[in-house]
Amino acid sequence: MEPVTDVSLLPGEDGVIEKEVIYICPFNGPVKGKVLITNYRLYFRSSDADLTVTLDVPLGAISRVEKMGGASSRGENSYGLDITCKDMRNLRFALKQEGHSRRDIFDFLFRLAFPLSHALPLFAYVTQEKYEENGWNVYKAMDELRRQGLPNNKWRITFINKNYELCDTYPTVLAVPYKSKEEDLRRVAAFRSRSRIPVLSWIHRKNQAVIVRCSQPLVGMSGKRNKDDERYLEMIREANDTPKLTIYDARPSVNAVANKATGGGYEGDEYQNAELVFLDIQNIHVMRESLKKLKDIVYPNVEESHWLSSLESTHWLEHIKLVLSGAIQVADKVSTGNSVLVHCSDGWDRTAQLTSLAMLMLDSHYRTLRGFEVLIEKEWISFGHKFASRIGHGDKNHADQDRSPIFVQFIDCVWQMTKQFPTAFEFNERLLLTILDHLYSCRFGTFLYNCESARDQHEVRIKTVSLWSLVNSKTDFYLNPFYTPEPNMVLCPVASMRHLELWVSYYIRWNPRIRQQQSPVEQRYRELLALRDEYLKKLEELQLSDSSPAPRVANSTTPNTPSSNSSTPSQHCTHLQTHF
Amino acid sequence: MLSQSGGSARNRDVLGLRCLPGECVLQRVLMVRKKLTSREGRGWLSGTLFCTHFRVAFVPQDAPNPPDNADPVLLGDHDVALASIEKVVVVGPNRTKLVTASSSLKFTPEELLLYCRDMRVVCLLFDRLTPDSQVLQMTYTIAKTYQPLKPGSVLSFQNAALGSVEMKQFLSNRSKEPHMNWFESAQDWEHELERCGAVGWRVSAVNERFEMATSLPRFVVVPQRVLDTELKKSFAHFSEGRIPRWSWRHPRGADLLRMSSFQNNIYHEKDDIRNLELILFGGHSSLCVVVELGEDLPSPLDVQLAHSRLRALCLGDVSSSVSVPDDKWLSTLESTHWLHYTRLCLRKASEVCCLLRSGHLTVALQEAEDRDMGCLVSSLVQLMCDPHSRTQMGFQGLVQKEWVTGGHRFCSRLNYHRDSDKDESPVFLLFLDCVWQLWAQFPSHFQLTEDFLLALHDSVHLPLFSTFLSNSQRERLKRTQHVGQSYTRVEGWRDLTFDPGDSCDPPLPPVWDWDLQYSKQRQAAFTQPVACPPLVQPLLNGNLNSDTIPGSVFLLSRGSFSCPPHLPPWRSGNSSGVYRKSHRRALSSEQVPGLERLLKAWALAEFPHSLTTHLGPQGPLDPYEPLLPLLMGPCMGLWRQCYLRGAIHAQAFSHPLVSPQPHPVERLAQEVQQLRTRLAQVSIPKEPTSPETPISTGKRRNLNHNANNSTFLFPASTNQHTPKTMPHTACTNHHTPKTTPHTMSINQQSSGSEHISAPSARSHRSGEDRLHVADKQREHLTSST
Repeated sequence: MEPVTDVSLLPGEDGVIEKEVIYICPFNGPVKGKVLITNYRLYFRSSDADLTVTLDVPLGAISRVEKMGGASSRGENSYGLDITCKDMRNLRFALKQEGHSRRDIFDFLFRLAFPLSHALPLFAYVTQEKYEENGWNVYKAMDELRRQGLPNNKWRITFINKNYELCDTYPTVLAVPYKSKEEDLRRVAAFRSRSRIPVLSWIHRKNQAVIVRCSQPLVGMSGKRNKDDERYLEMIREANDTPKLTIYDARPSVNAVANKATGGGYEGDEYQNAELVFLDIQNIHVMRESLKKLKDIVYPNVEESHWLSSLESTHWLEHIKLVLSGAIQVADKVSTGNSVLVHCSDGWDRTAQLTSLAMLMLDSHYRTLRGFEVLIEKEWISFGHKFASRIGHGDKNHADQDRSPIFVQFIDCVWQMTKQFPTAFEFNERLLLTILDHLYSCRFGTFLYNCESARDQHEVRIKTVSLWSLVNSKTDFYLNPFYTPEPNMVLCPVASMRHLELWVSYYIRWNPRIRQQQSPVEQRYRELLALRDEYLKKLEELQLSDSSPAPRVANSTTPNTPSSNSSTPSQHCTHLQTHF
Repeated sequence: MLSQSGGSARNRDVLGLRCLPGECVLQRVLMVRKKLTSREGRGWLSGTLFCTHFRVAFVPQDAPNPPDNADPVLLGDHDVALASIEKVVVVGPNRTKLVTASSSLKFTPEELLLYCRDMRVVCLLFDRLTPDSQVLQMTYTIAKTYQPLKPGSVLSFQNAALGSVEMKQFLSNRSKEPHMNWFESAQDWEHELERCGAVGWRVSAVNERFEMATSLPRFVVVPQRVLDTELKKSFAHFSEGRIPRWSWRHPRGADLLRMSSFQNNIYHEKDDIRNLELILFGGHSSLCVVVELGEDLPSPLDVQLAHSRLRALCLGDVSSSVSVPDDKWLSTLESTHWLHYTRLCLRKASEVCCLLRSGHLTVALQEAEDRDMGCLVSSLVQLMCDPHSRTQMGFQGLVQKEWVTGGHRFCSRLNYHRDSDKDESPVFLLFLDCVWQLWAQFPSHFQLTEDFLLALHDSVHLPLFSTFLSNSQRERLKRTQHVGQSYTRVEGWRDLTFDPGDSCDPPLPPVWDWDLQYSKQRQAAFTQPVACPPLVQPLLNGNLNSDTIPGSVFLLSRGSFSCPPHLPPWRSGNSSGVYRKSHRRALSSEQVPGLERLLKAWALAEFPHSLTTHLGPQGPLDPYEPLLPLLMGPCMGLWRQCYLRGAIHAQAFSHPLVSPQPHPVERLAQEVQQLRTRLAQVSIPKEPTSPETPISTGKRRNLNHNANNSTFLFPASTNQHTPKTMPHTACTNHHTPKTTPHTMSINQQSSGSEHISAPSARSHRSGEDRLHVADKQREHLTSST
């Protein structure tokens, strides 16, 4: 059999099986070709000369593999494999019915796509990739706190969680009110779900207002109180003399009440100088079902005549809107000098969404490429968003109720912001797409495991490569040419259905009708750059050929393609104007 | 009344407002803040609010004073004409009230909202220190003075704006935009034929006095081989006499025609039939596809209903301040059907484009009256296929050709006088939305910008422009005749010297006189600073064979082709059409699948290999590829910048929302433009061989033209700006297309890329047999305009 040659495998990637199959393409009909399965990917290439169809699917993106039809089923292409992916597509392959032809491919696929269920290592532990930069150095908790101006006379750094003894899902370095004592923290931990005590996420440089995150208080049916927790919140409030500490409970109020039955709850009137606001964001199960509905209307066929009402019935954009508008409220409070506390039930899903989005609005540093990496490392990875449970890396249990696209929803919110503020972000859409691709791929260690303690235990930083190694080794690919830094700008997106859009180039990207093109604006930018370089060259030629000692114009502005995009267009502008 | 201006000065400052001659300031309030839209950078602007009997004006605090001798501008950047106001609403402490002429308020408004017909909402905030009486006075004055449109009010509005002696004098001395084709004279049409390289056609003056068809333009383009005497007989065969006539030629040689429905109850004489066939086949092709526009497209009533639903949705119910809840927004938007209708129009136009690009046929758009969807689809097809129509001047010419002189019933459809409610239908606004959809999917293929589309959209709602105030060219000219021209049967059109005392109606300017409405600065945003160079319009030689006999006629309706027996009616039944038997049966079986393949290519894949994916800096690989928009649900957008401009639901937060800086693309474009200018300057002394190079900036409207016409880039096109009588050497290649050397076709490229102004065709064309009549009168007419 002729090997599939046109795919370049990663270092450490090995092909295990190749087979002639028919890909039941939902857009072009059945396509004959060859499939290659490696320990990292499923690769398909059509053998038909007229129609080139290729598929390149990391096995990590597969959530479910099923056999379709039996040895005796009738009809063309009725015997084969049905593959459900986590990234908004399904794949169907038909095989020859004779001789159990799918048995080996199914077995390989099943084992390699779900390595953890078969006591095999994730590909991130197998790969031999090397990058110039070590992405694990992007985020250091102390450096980030220092950047924010911490510690200061109101906030101190504590290492009480050095060995994950206070809280096993928190990072080791925490910022807490200066006045709080270590034993206070332990007592507060006893009153907060999973010991996730209120700690500082972000501090406003000027007005010293803070975003503090935590989990729900363990109030329970009996309405328990905890003086230490109340006093601890008062210390947070006093740190910048906020008149009233605003507590944002991300949940709908009914859910918060219902949580009392399982020992949780919300802050009651006993918390003086605090106001409680519910943000009405639904839980992980609602989000999962919503995205499932969205997939139904975009894959394989896009609903045509009733597109908008179908989209509305998925409620996906409405959830996006609620998350965004919650974050806007947080950002607005903080920017006007009021400290806030954010929690949901456990403080690792909705809380992470709210704090990270609010920080993105408030702090322009997080809108740079490296700053955004820090934001994800800090608010999501180090604070214990349960990536392993939510994504189900390497796990065959596709119906696991813990799975939910919370992080996808966050990235969608970021995309919505980039749409509304096209010049405010240093990174481009490709970065967001790459992040989401490798959220599933299991090629990098970045999104593996639920929390820092688990990551330490599995030596992720030692044995795997960080996604940021890849990104930072070719940053120009991920940079937004229109980025215009504005250091003190607070972004306030419009969170209304009238202004939110479906992220077509992510959710419908498998549809060949959606043009995979660079944005027309970016294209125009490139055309203009080419024109400018051409003119500069001509000008230079003209002036060189001129006998009079005219100043050379072009030499100062080196041809600046977007690929070497270290300087912004405004700088070119000034360059030129000084010459003329 | 605070003050009245008079005297002979063009403009005068009245309490800080630059008034039009004769304009009175009725009320003034200081320290008012106006809310800026996202286009204007958001946030608030403080200044002074005026109410005159023509407009509500807002003058920002430190607005620079224009020079005293500046031409009058009807509306400042922040002004609203009273005729554009639809509703006046005030917001007080915890309440909102609709204010009418008879309202009396029981509270002092804090905020004044002006809901405009063009879907703007102007939000003005009064200062707390302003005395209540002033605020109330202003509110009442606006409520009493703004005019709900009704018969009579339009005229009084026009008089308020343009009725003064000075304004009349000023307007009658305005010259017409010279860089666009107005499609008013025979030369204009000839120039279009020339631009498209359409051979085999001629301009006929049979309708010069609107005797054949009242709603058609004075000049129609018909096959060269049909004589005027023969042509006259064909008018009776079409509803309202709107015979098949040439609109545009695709670079690959296919011609686009428009016509109304056939008159069926008429006897077809044999001679007539020959001519009808010739007209329909354009005299050169053996295949004609009649595209039926009535069936798949929304009716005018549908459009009207959809638009009023869209308005209600986007502006909300003002009086009750109830707007559609956010969670029902998408489905409510869908139920307006507006987006669906834009999709249908774009789909139909895409189908026609796919037919045209195969070459070798005529496509005739047929609509019962040929005055609504005919205009719309025909224009869209040209926008998709013809880069020239995506420039501002090209687009203005397109609107002139297909809508204004084409006989779209603007006045009835827009219902300015509120006297034809049953005819009201904003078909033109639907067209603008379709253009916006195309622009949104292919912005870099357009020289015109969203700002231009918005300006045009808003102008439609201002009953001041001759462009929109008539139903046909005949009506338009009749009006002009009252005001400034007279027409005598014997001598044709003739200008009279203008006597302002003579007439009561003010002369109405065309909408394209943008100086009347927009400052130079805002007009500069109508076009991209550095436009992509429009493409070549070469001729293919395949279609020059004019001996082809007329052949098959197919009907395209509901996306499929057929050969109905009564199409065209003269071929049916016993009328024994000459060509009937010999062609139809044989060709139908072979060509229908061929035609269907053309459409399928689009419908199946919607071109995943579309031009945009291959775009390099040089532009698309195949210049003939039309811009075919994606029409899937997620790809059709809502024109938010237009319909949601006034939306008040945005959160009220304290920080400024958007940086006022221009987008980096604009900055880069400006930089490129500076380089161009610089290059042009540097290169002038180097090229003494091109004597016309010095750029006479005086006449140019803005820098764009300056840049576009730059001699460095298009050295051969320089004589475009030479006086009109100069022979245009580049054009000679039309006479000898096959022997044209390569360089000449490059000349053609660059001249084709410019804004076509009539001159180049003028001199040498006169020898051609296109038109022999009334040359002198027309020359007189055009040179006087």
